[in-house]
Amino acid sequence: MRIGLVLPAVPGYSETFFVNKIRGLHSHGHEVVLFVSGSHKIKTFEGATVVASPKLSGNLPLLFLQESCSFLILLLLNFKVVRQFYRLERNDESSFFSILKKMVLNHHLLSAKLDWLHFGFGTMALERENVAQAIGAKMAVSFRGFDIAIYPLKNPNCYDKLWKKVDKVHVISDDIADLVYKNGFENKEKVFKICPAIDVNYFSNVKETEATQTIQILTIARLHWKKGLEYTLEALALLKKKGVAFQYTIVGDGIEKERLLFAAHQLGLTDRVTFTGKLEPTVVRQLLGDATLYVQYSIQEGFCNAVLEAQAMGKLCIVSDAEGLSENVIDGVTGFVVAKRNPVSLAEKIQAVTKLAENEKRMMTEKAISRMKNEFTLEQQQKEFLEFYTTD
Amino acid sequence: MSQKKIAIYSGEIPSTTFIERLVDGMANSGYRIYLFGTLKKKKNYGTNVEVVAYSNRFEKTVQLLYYSFLLSVFQRKCKNKLDDLLAQQGNDSYGTKVKYYSVLYHRPDIFHLQWAKGVGDWIWVQEFGIKLVLSLRGTHVTISPIGNVYWKELYSQLFPKLNGFHAVSDATGMLAQTYGADATKIKTVYSGLDLERLPFVQKGKINSPLKIVSIGRSHWVKGYSYALDGLAILQEQQFDFEYSIIGVGIDEELLVQRSQLGLEKKVCFVTAAPFDAVLLAIREADVVLLSSVEEGIANVVLEAMALGTLVVTTDCGGMNEVITDGENGFLIPVRSLLAIAEALRKVADLSITEYHKMTLAARKTIENQHSHRIMIADMKSLYESVLKDPS
Repeated sequence: MRIGLVLPAVPGYSETFFVNKIRGLHSHGHEVVLFVSGSHKIKTFEGATVVASPKLSGNLPLLFLQESCSFLILLLLNFKVVRQFYRLERNDESSFFSILKKMVLNHHLLSAKLDWLHFGFGTMALERENVAQAIGAKMAVSFRGFDIAIYPLKNPNCYDKLWKKVDKVHVISDDIADLVYKNGFENKEKVFKICPAIDVNYFSNVKETEATQTIQILTIARLHWKKGLEYTLEALALLKKKGVAFQYTIVGDGIEKERLLFAAHQLGLTDRVTFTGKLEPTVVRQLLGDATLYVQYSIQEGFCNAVLEAQAMGKLCIVSDAEGLSENVIDGVTGFVVAKRNPVSLAEKIQAVTKLAENEKRMMTEKAISRMKNEFTLEQQQKEFLEFYTTD
Repeated sequence: MSQKKIAIYSGEIPSTTFIERLVDGMANSGYRIYLFGTLKKKKNYGTNVEVVAYSNRFEKTVQLLYYSFLLSVFQRKCKNKLDDLLAQQGNDSYGTKVKYYSVLYHRPDIFHLQWAKGVGDWIWVQEFGIKLVLSLRGTHVTISPIGNVYWKELYSQLFPKLNGFHAVSDATGMLAQTYGADATKIKTVYSGLDLERLPFVQKGKINSPLKIVSIGRSHWVKGYSYALDGLAILQEQQFDFEYSIIGVGIDEELLVQRSQLGLEKKVCFVTAAPFDAVLLAIREADVVLLSSVEEGIANVVLEAMALGTLVVTTDCGGMNEVITDGENGFLIPVRSLLAIAEALRKVADLSITEYHKMTLAARKTIENQHSHRIMIADMKSLYESVLKDPS
């Protein structure tokens, strides 16, 4: 089978979801083609061919010439596809000019020979809803978080056209599936949940957490408002007032750095909070090993690999109830789930957790580790994706 | 005595409302005002204002050539000195020279820089006998040095060298002292309002649902997320209200928060509106809510106080220099949702007599502390003290 994956860019290290998926498909004899935005010097990735989308910036006359040539080649070699695409777009009442624009922008997709065209994020399918049918491929779309929880708030009904044409929808959690239905998709039989997965062998360096006076709390997250870090800092400010000894480390970088630094300063936490910036994976794993508690108090979260990794490493996790987090962690069994946007509750939970008996904590973390090994392995995910493409 | 020359520099012409009022006020106070920078829109200033600016690349080139020529002919030594200075700093591009040459040629007595982050760019003026005065306003002073150690170090290095500071509040002035600003060179000059454009109108009643408005740009410092969390508490308590935030437009974070808290029917986000529309919105509201985590002194609060609309504001920056809790408004702790909810309830529970008493007191505060006349007089006093200072 030839499967086209449409992604914003060639996956990075941290995008284990995509890397693992591509490896899994490739190892089972399927051919994977990655369609990525922008121009790339990378021609192959994990055995997949990489095809760059048309360039949109640069030397304008040269660009115009290049894209015109590409479009003419498309027209000559794939006339039937172009004709079908045109007809489908006209049925959707697209104007001639917008159809032409879509053909130029998607000529790399329209000239592909594929069995499946899979958009890695919901937003990547927008303005491309008819491409799959035009090239005779089935269409799949993945929804992960921002694309279904946030994007439609700014762009209501943006997926209406997509819902009519998609063959399968992949979601990473039940809550994401609920959001898909809330945004107008009705056919539940076409929705498949495949959770993220982690390398449980790599994240298994379980270090016995030393009982110390000072709790080492860790979060690994982009510095973005959706990660709820400001609420986390407020909870920690309450803990500080109660005399709880802790050190909080945030691993990650992002646009909210100034906001969070100021919040830490204003809340009197400068001596208790460390912003490490982005770190090498090996260093991150070490920090995970040293942590007493892992906190992910997101406002919006598809699922969260960092929480899976923390659980696999035997760390007690306290998370918010944002979308996939309450499936990621089973409240009271493998960790704790606290209502989001409630720093008082988060502070109380952290304090309560630190007072748990050691055997209670151990029981919980052992259950979490076992669950990670049984339900969130890379092999499991690869198997589910194979079924996704091969079964009706 | 020759007319003193003051350059009021914000980089763009025209600039913010406050700066434009300052320009007009100073021009009418006997100074010759120079405006350098990029011309965004043509504006007719009075006879005492000279605009030395460019609006496109061609004009920029012409200005560079013109002032290079004038300096070469009439101020060769100074030009060479400046060129050497820039070469030493590795900052001698044409872009830099076009900014600096006109200032050097016109040699104002005071270069009044409006934004702190530019202090590194303009410290050179002191080498040529130009006094450098800095306005302490906005996040440049309150947030940037905390968010980035570069600014903290720059301010700590250069603030001790400056000839004068205009602080928008006492609090901002004290903050500048932590970066080495000389306390004797700091003058608090409160923002002055054109009170004729802001006539006080006594309200007839407090509405139900309570009409709440916030006005300001979409930025985390405005603390709107706290406002929404606070209003969610009121909604749970079945307290009826309508809340508009003017100036945010499509803010992803707030859209998500509004949706998650189920506040879509009660909270409305509006894109930036013209000044008159904003004044109307303030008039029609029962309360203006300022939920900021940091401020100098928010102009919108001053405007609300002038117009007769009660204010609930967080106690950040210099806000407590304007509002006395329970007397001319309500002052609440920063980052406290409960305090926001309680204060808004207090407003709703006021009798109309109590409301009038507080808003009248607010208007008095503005008349006594924030008139345009007082602002101009205070700024003049700052300039005169800087000009007289021999150091």
